[in-house]
Amino acid sequence: MSLLSVSQLRAGYGPINVLHDLALTVEAGEIVVMLGANGAGKTTTMRAISGMLGRSGDVVFEGTNISKATPDAIVRAGVAQVPQGRGTFPELNVEDNLRAGAYVRKDGEIDADIDRWFDVFPRLQERRAQRAGSLSGGEQQMLAVARALMSRPKLLLCDEPSLGLAPLITQELFAVIERLNRETGLSVLLVEQNANLAMQIAHRVYLIETGRIVATGSADELSADDSIRKAYLGF
Amino acid sequence: MKSLFTIKDGSAAHWALRLLAAAIVVAIMLWIPTKGSNGLVTSATEALTLMSAAMALNLILGYTGQISIGHSAFYGTGAYVTAILVSKYEWSPWLTFPVAFVIAFVVGVLVSFPASRIKGVYLALVTLALALVFPNLLRWPKLESLTGGGPGLPNSDSALDTTGFDIGRREGQMRNFEIFGWDPFGDLRGQGAIPFYYWIAAGIAIIVYIVIRGVVKSRAGRSLIAVRDNETAAAVMGVNLVATKAFAFGISAGLCALPGSVTAIRLGSMSPDVATLTILGSLTFLIVMVIGGAGSLWGPVIGAALYVIVTDRTGNWADEEAIPGLLRPFFGWSKIPPGTGIFAVTLIALMFVAPRGLVGVWKQYSPRIVRVVPRPAGLAAATKPVLAAVDTNTTPEGESE
Amino acid sequence: MALFLQRLVDGLSSGSVYALIALGLVIIYRGTGHLNFAQGEMALFSAYVVYQMGEWGLPIGFALMIGLAVGFVIGAVAEVGLVRPVSKKSPFAVFIVTIGLFQLLNWLAGAIWGDQVLPNSGVGSEQQQYPSLFPDAPEDFVKVFGAAIRYQSIGVFGLTMVITGLLFLLFNKTKFGLAMRAVASNTESAKLVGIRVNTVLMVSWGLAAAIGTIGGVVFAGINNSVSLGLMFTVFIYGSAAATLGGFDSPGGAVIAGLMIGVIEGMAAGYIGFIGQEMKLAVAFIVILVVLMVKPSGLFGTAKVERV
Repeated sequence: MSLLSVSQLRAGYGPINVLHDLALTVEAGEIVVMLGANGAGKTTTMRAISGMLGRSGDVVFEGTNISKATPDAIVRAGVAQVPQGRGTFPELNVEDNLRAGAYVRKDGEIDADIDRWFDVFPRLQERRAQRAGSLSGGEQQMLAVARALMSRPKLLLCDEPSLGLAPLITQELFAVIERLNRETGLSVLLVEQNANLAMQIAHRVYLIETGRIVATGSADELSADDSIRKAYLGF
Repeated sequence: MKSLFTIKDGSAAHWALRLLAAAIVVAIMLWIPTKGSNGLVTSATEALTLMSAAMALNLILGYTGQISIGHSAFYGTGAYVTAILVSKYEWSPWLTFPVAFVIAFVVGVLVSFPASRIKGVYLALVTLALALVFPNLLRWPKLESLTGGGPGLPNSDSALDTTGFDIGRREGQMRNFEIFGWDPFGDLRGQGAIPFYYWIAAGIAIIVYIVIRGVVKSRAGRSLIAVRDNETAAAVMGVNLVATKAFAFGISAGLCALPGSVTAIRLGSMSPDVATLTILGSLTFLIVMVIGGAGSLWGPVIGAALYVIVTDRTGNWADEEAIPGLLRPFFGWSKIPPGTGIFAVTLIALMFVAPRGLVGVWKQYSPRIVRVVPRPAGLAAATKPVLAAVDTNTTPEGESE
Repeated sequence: MALFLQRLVDGLSSGSVYALIALGLVIIYRGTGHLNFAQGEMALFSAYVVYQMGEWGLPIGFALMIGLAVGFVIGAVAEVGLVRPVSKKSPFAVFIVTIGLFQLLNWLAGAIWGDQVLPNSGVGSEQQQYPSLFPDAPEDFVKVFGAAIRYQSIGVFGLTMVITGLLFLLFNKTKFGLAMRAVASNTESAKLVGIRVNTVLMVSWGLAAAIGTIGGVVFAGINNSVSLGLMFTVFIYGSAAATLGGFDSPGGAVIAGLMIGVIEGMAAGYIGFIGQEMKLAVAFIVILVVLMVKPSGLFGTAKVERV
């Protein structure tokens, strides 16, 4: 059974339907990347999975149908999202941002986890008492990722983490994600416009265009296919 | 959507329809003072002054989108300008109208300068404070020689006696209504004055209506709507924000002073205790405007008529006996008249079902009966907001949808 | 000296009431971005309820508890039933709804208890005075440097400080407080970390109404009576305080409230020109000046407006 199984997903904004019978799966321990152009429906998909907008269809996570669940229930089930544009709490300091990320947890290891993420992202530790809004773009992105991970999710959704970041920082970030996947088995669904870096860490890739999946395969398979490569991957 | 009738804008049928509507209005307005009882005429007079005030408020609230709950202060300014000029300086009441307008206009412009920099709810707070300060200003001992003061406490009795002037009720004063020696209305002593006040109120209401209609349909009016819909875009398009808002506020204030003057003439006295001069007055204007329909020319008219009708009918319902049997269980328990409560609930309910008020409902459903089809474009001046053309679909930065 | 101290303490006392109202306004504004026009009238209604409890013989402590509960419920219900459904439509609609609520609560209080000043033996009131939280008899004062400092004034100020302290703890040391701050900072992200935003909003309004209730009860106690117009001017003063302090700063609201209370008392007393009638004009001018010079208030954070 797949960790996440999406089928016949429709979602949109008011009268405008963006996704048309979208289907994808994420197996446990995988990094799945969804690539597509501006306006293709990547963010809508992410928001639909997290319950942030009205949707119809089937979204099954660990055997439970979450397509009608509220956002907080979905987080409790083990799905955490790093939203597009970072989505930090600008007035809260770094530490409070992380603490907020652990909101759904009731165990006593939250402080230990905060320290652990400070180890992974030393720059955040330097700024632990600073308002999140005063951090640089790259730091905010790291904070957003760490915050999402504070809830100890089984599935991490990342919406265009490279947006607005310098390539070096993006590489650093992707390296962290890849390491987490390798060491802890964290499953990841990553959407990106930037094909290059994302494909390097992906196990499988989906291509989305105007709300539909148009191709899928491993990174190597898709790179090998000339027409797909030229049309969608830009190289 | 199917309509029973479809007529072209500007066609003979359209004109006939408009004339019919106008005829009905004129007929009602003539019937009231000639055939109606004195009580009805007085109520109608109140409705007319309320209409004028609500229409004035509509100019900035409905059309420019600026919030004001301080218009009772402008109304009161008009009332007191008239009261002071007539009682202390023996002016003819006719001349006090333009003076009241000008003074209120200036005050409105002055208030709007800070207002042009502050948004929505902050402006509401400032105007609320204005409405609360105004009666206190009237009671201020430093101004007592001018305003007749009032002892400064809300529940003292002496205020009513000390602020004194009389218009139109005593013989000696009648001459003030003469225009260069000609007394147009004959003997207005006693009961005869009541229809007279009605006509003054009606005249003012018509003037206010015409002025507002003129402003709204003019180029300045379209600037106002542009400011309401999107300030920043309007500024970029060349609309002078400060001047536009100041102008609108000034006109609105000035027009709101006129019904105040009418009330001063009608009551024959003025004091800080008159409810319309307090925050309650501002809230009444607001309620009337919203229930009738904000941003429409006829909304305040309908709203005011409805308000006066309901308030008059339920005015004595604090006494349980006065309530018709069927409604007694609903209102009998209340220690005070239910009018305000009814309107408060209506106001809230309207925001759920009909945010554009009664006129909005009418506009939504009347096309089912008669639809007016506009003439083809290319002819002069549409009255659509300036920004219709600017409303392109720009995706916010960073979003990939 | 005695007069100065007297005026200072009176100013702090009334300033405390303004601070409490301002706190309620700020809590709601931070959470939802709305100005709750009905804040004063929610407090008023609950203050009437406390009066009624006093009529029925309940000691002031219990009466206050019930008043707080009623206030909380009014605030919560208003948010869930009236504000939330309408907030999807437009800010104007929300504004009108709070105005309507203002009118409705005021009318309801009058409908239930009548429009005269209470307590009033003429209509059968049992109590001589509005129940007071603090010892309020003419002899309940302490002499400091020649000034008669009433226990009530000290009590009101002290209570406000305690409430402010408790709120500080709530916001900064509790999980729910963190949730409230998160919702105020970024509602979408709050949802993404699993916070039940709807619950937070509802409780915020309830809390704000409850704090306002304390302000109303205390103010009625100072006045020794309650009447329909009790909270009009207090609301303005509270709004002036919230504006001066910054609508997103609870601490700022309290400090500003106290400042306004003291300034107003001093100005009215020392600048005879102003006198009692124009004290309100002081608040009016404060709001106006602050909005023109620094709209985000003394302690608030300036927001950049995105086009």
